[in-house]
Amino acid sequence: MHERLSFYIKRDSVIHRLNPLTKLVLVFAFIGVAFTFPWYWMSLSLFLFVLIPLAFVAKVSREYFFTATRLILPAAGFLFLMQALFQPIGEEIIFQFYFLDATRESLAFAFTIAARIIVMISAFTLLLLTTHPSELMSDLTRRGLPGQFAYVIISTLQILPQMQAKAQTIIAAQRSRGLDTESTFLKRAGSVLPLVGPLVFGSLVEVEERAIAIEARGFTSKKEKTSLHEVPDTVTDKTIRWVLIILIILSISLNLWL
Amino acid sequence: MNININNLHFTYPTGLEALKGVSLTINAGEQVAIVGQNGAGKTTLVRHFNGLLKPTSGSVTIGDWDTTKYSVAKLASRVGYVFQNPDEQLFSRDVLTEVEFGPKNLGYTKEKIDELVKQALVWTELTDKTETNPYDLSPTWRKMVALASIIAMDTPIVIFDEPTTGQDFANVSRIANVIAELKKQGKTVITITHDIDFCAENFERVIALSNGQVLLDGTTREVLGQEEILAQTYVDPPQLTRLGKLLNLKETVINQQEFLKAIK
Ligand SMILES: Nc1ncnc2c1ncn2[C@@H]1O[C@H](COP(=O)(O)OP(=O)(O)OP(=O)(O)O)[C@@H](O)[C@H]1O
Ligand SMILES: [Mg+2]
Repeated sequence: MHERLSFYIKRDSVIHRLNPLTKLVLVFAFIGVAFTFPWYWMSLSLFLFVLIPLAFVAKVSREYFFTATRLILPAAGFLFLMQALFQPIGEEIIFQFYFLDATRESLAFAFTIAARIIVMISAFTLLLLTTHPSELMSDLTRRGLPGQFAYVIISTLQILPQMQAKAQTIIAAQRSRGLDTESTFLKRAGSVLPLVGPLVFGSLVEVEERAIAIEARGFTSKKEKTSLHEVPDTVTDKTIRWVLIILIILSISLNLWL
Repeated sequence: MNININNLHFTYPTGLEALKGVSLTINAGEQVAIVGQNGAGKTTLVRHFNGLLKPTSGSVTIGDWDTTKYSVAKLASRVGYVFQNPDEQLFSRDVLTEVEFGPKNLGYTKEKIDELVKQALVWTELTDKTETNPYDLSPTWRKMVALASIIAMDTPIVIFDEPTTGQDFANVSRIANVIAELKKQGKTVITITHDIDFCAENFERVIALSNGQVLLDGTTREVLGQEEILAQTYVDPPQLTRLGKLLNLKETVINQQEFLKAIK
């Protein structure tokens, strides 16, 4: 079976070829700049004029917009509403919702926060779409990240797609035995119930099996480990990383100085 | 209920064309074995029979139903499909619930459900394990649960995807018994298998697939006699058949009785 076990989309692009650490630093640069720049338009321009073009350069624009509309925008929209209505700042009321009022200041604040969240999640999305999780982790462990830590990160990254794949197989099995999941909404909602048990239970069984499997391959061995897979790290990568780090430092100091 | 497959092509979303123009007719009540190397497209083909996959082009009809026009749940009343991997098929708390799941969905009366479930449990010798969680059973017994949960649906067509893989002799004969019982009831049985002896002993017709196409299709004797062509899809005829060839027997033999008769 060919299940999609991560968000990773295998394509050939400049972004795909970058060293994983470079991309990770890029993500933190995005977050750093978005969160330290006090100007509200900064995050939005980052998203519109840097992140979106980058998704095109990485040839994952379709998948990127898909996650954006399904995950990022709803999350940001919710946050925007919450912040706009519950921030007790400002005088000038723009609109009211029962006893909650949105002022000009709270709207501006909510807007900034939401834009920052958009940048943060979409930068991570871009990283995950263009980097195979095992490549990211083998690069980081080679640089000294403890194996256990890498394992926790990688299994967290994989758990969603894995559960999704598992849910698909169980749905196929249940439909093959006459469970109608295609018709009405009510029936669909009802058919989710018989799914939850096997899904959770199956995943638990899997975790145990996996723990045994990796232990059988010497996971906790104290010996120095070598890597089968060399992740390339070029001069360009190193240069980009330094530039980005300087950028982060600059934006933090700018924030402190202003 | 006949199965008609007309120039079926199927391409996976990954771009891999797994079926490249398959045309077949399987008549009601036939016992058919499908053989062929790993990746030949056997599973892909049978997943079209119950609508889990829909043709990229061409058509599959089950009786008078075109599979593109009916949901998987609807087709389940005509085609029962035992998955290759029981772990992908079982999801209930205990064996009884698991076996009841299908017939209940098909809306049979309470009496009929009880009768079907009981019969399926007897055939698969699971009667003393009804309270057990399928996950606590050994893989071989899980396979039997998967079998029982499908035959309890009493569909006119039953598909087994590699039922004997990894099974001991006792279980293989249990499965052979189930197939014989289904045959007695006049059901169509389609079985994918890599176990060529099992195929020779239990099926009348054999279809050999290779690279998404039908390589051979005929009676078991005709197909297993074509050693060279079968080799293209890495299938070896049974040892007795090959021995018979080496002994220059006139007829192709496929089982012990025939072999003994021929060398007398
Ligand atoms: N979900 C899928 N997505 C993409 N390709 C697939 C998928 N399932 C199967 N394939 C590919 O399609 C081809 C046919 O696979 P299929 O499972 O039908 O073979 P099979 O004859 O059943 O083999 P086996 O004897 O190993 O069970 C293989 O090359 C396989 O890698
Ligand atoms: Mg298969």
